[in-house]
Amino acid sequence: MDAITNLLKIISDFVAELIRSVLGFSPLLAELVTMGIAAVVLITFAALSFMGLTYVERKVVARIQDRLGPNQAGPFGLLQPLADGIKMFTKEDTTPATADRWVYNAAPLVIAVFALATYAVIPFAPGVVGTNLNVGVFYVLAIGSGSIVAILMAGWGSNNKYALLGAFRTVAQLIGYEVPMLLNVLTVVLVTGSMSLIDIINHQTLADGNPGIPHILMLPLPALVFLISGIAETGRSPFDLLEAESEIVAGFHTEYSGMKFALFFLGEYVNALAVSFVFSTLFLGGYAGPILPPYVWILLKAALVFFVFMWLRGTLPRVRIDQMHALNWKFLVPMSTVNLVLVMLVLKLFPTSESAAQAFGGLLVTPWVQTIILAAVNLGVLFTALTLAARAARRFRQAEEEMIMRRRAANLAAAKA
Amino acid sequence: MTLQQVIFIILAIAVIGSALFVVTTSNLFRGALMLIVAFFGVAGFYVLLDNGLFAVAQVMIYIGAISILIIFSVMLTRGMQAMIPRNAQAGSVAIAAALLFLILLLAFGPFRLVVDLSGVPILSALFRTESARVLGGVPWQFANREVPETYIADFGRALVDLNQFLLPFLLVAFLVDAVLAGAIYIARQRKPAEVIAEREAIAKEEAEELAALQPQPNAPTLPQGAIASTADH
Repeated sequence: MDAITNLLKIISDFVAELIRSVLGFSPLLAELVTMGIAAVVLITFAALSFMGLTYVERKVVARIQDRLGPNQAGPFGLLQPLADGIKMFTKEDTTPATADRWVYNAAPLVIAVFALATYAVIPFAPGVVGTNLNVGVFYVLAIGSGSIVAILMAGWGSNNKYALLGAFRTVAQLIGYEVPMLLNVLTVVLVTGSMSLIDIINHQTLADGNPGIPHILMLPLPALVFLISGIAETGRSPFDLLEAESEIVAGFHTEYSGMKFALFFLGEYVNALAVSFVFSTLFLGGYAGPILPPYVWILLKAALVFFVFMWLRGTLPRVRIDQMHALNWKFLVPMSTVNLVLVMLVLKLFPTSESAAQAFGGLLVTPWVQTIILAAVNLGVLFTALTLAARAARRFRQAEEEMIMRRRAANLAAAKA
Repeated sequence: MTLQQVIFIILAIAVIGSALFVVTTSNLFRGALMLIVAFFGVAGFYVLLDNGLFAVAQVMIYIGAISILIIFSVMLTRGMQAMIPRNAQAGSVAIAAALLFLILLLAFGPFRLVVDLSGVPILSALFRTESARVLGGVPWQFANREVPETYIADFGRALVDLNQFLLPFLLVAFLVDAVLAGAIYIARQRKPAEVIAEREAIAKEEAEELAALQPQPNAPTLPQGAIASTADH
């Protein structure tokens, strides 16, 4: 039983030992080679999961839309990703004549690099993590903001007005939705007291390794807003007007075909999977779980979150760009800010540790009581914000209707006269 | 040659090389991209100094926000492609930059300037120096110290400590508030009359600019028979 639970750790220790002793490298070179192998394994995992995810997504979205999905290529359409891959490889690789060659060719590479770099800090099992940064969460957000530059490169390098406009819109959306993502990740960091992803998982597990209180129970509102921001950050439906077929041709990747387009596609899915992994680490408890091995738990949780992404894609209509920006800046950001301040207050007024209670003079409570208070405060903020937004929307709709009625009456009077 | 020195040299070459490219290129967009490479190099320096927080903050702020702003301004300004990267003040700016570099080298580098004025007749009376003075060299207090494990929490506490960095922190927060207020004012919802007035003002400005480019009605012109007289040969 122990071997299966620690399978990943046993394999990684074995490989490290092999490199160190059998091959006789110096310690520095051995470490470099081990890290290189770990990077290759992570990238292979991301690429293979990309293949599987395209298939699963098409099947799930098809079932939601009451149809079958790919079922021709192989039994149950399981060889569809292979067929897609062959198609991508054999498509003509065009380059616009007046495009900036270096910039145009580098953009898909940069996006793929940044999308894959997120996997370096995700813990897949206790002790199995690319690198345990003590600013892990901040690193994930910074890498997400670094991939925005690649989109500008793609839009500008194509030398195409539609691609440039699409790139502007994409960048506006991505930069806008970073703000609520940051604010809500900040609440998790406040509750945990550390930015390291492993510390965040440890905060959600009890001392003996059993799962404790997942953050989604403590902080339902930040989880929800992080989910929404994650969907917007990766450009998935319902925020996919950046690349949808009926919108601005194909947005910033209009001029890309063949392998370069495949790299953009890979970047999008790898990014979405990375967001699912980060969500399950921050809010669902990461690799903590009762019976199954830890790496199975984190894969299950990430798969659940990705299923929610696919579910939303198949169900919700596309959001217009002004609606999307209004949602972000007028609803999500004020709500997240108020929530942050209230979470800070609750953490100071109802601490769970003796030292914090003595320092500020709050009321010492057990973790479960603090969880319930935090959840109540979060849900209160959510419902208040929703009520205010509904009232504002109703007022706006009534004003519009009044204007329409007035114009209709004026037209009628003009027609009669 | 330790590994740290090798990495430092590689990063230094990357930063200096991309910075040179930025200031000498005429393709502004590529210059902006090489600026991003320079910022990555600086983030690498922070990692070398054992400070992960500043490295990640550098990536997020400089590459994720400031570089994007620079690229937007390059893309959205008309006539950016036709700008020449050389102007009339290039010579004096080069001299000033070289002087500044020498001063910085003196202040922060390993060089020291020893000034001994005791022998010089007039200046020694003016400056009253009995012994040689050493110019240059900043006494760094924190060189060769380890970065403590709790440096993030210490940094956070230093930002709100009255004796340390509270005032700059509050000033920056004030600046951010002003920027937010300005952004909200620019993006406010305008009434139809206001929109029409703004559009009229912009149209009037453009008409004035266009009129300014046309030849002036009272510019000195050749007299009536001038061209005819030169063509008489």
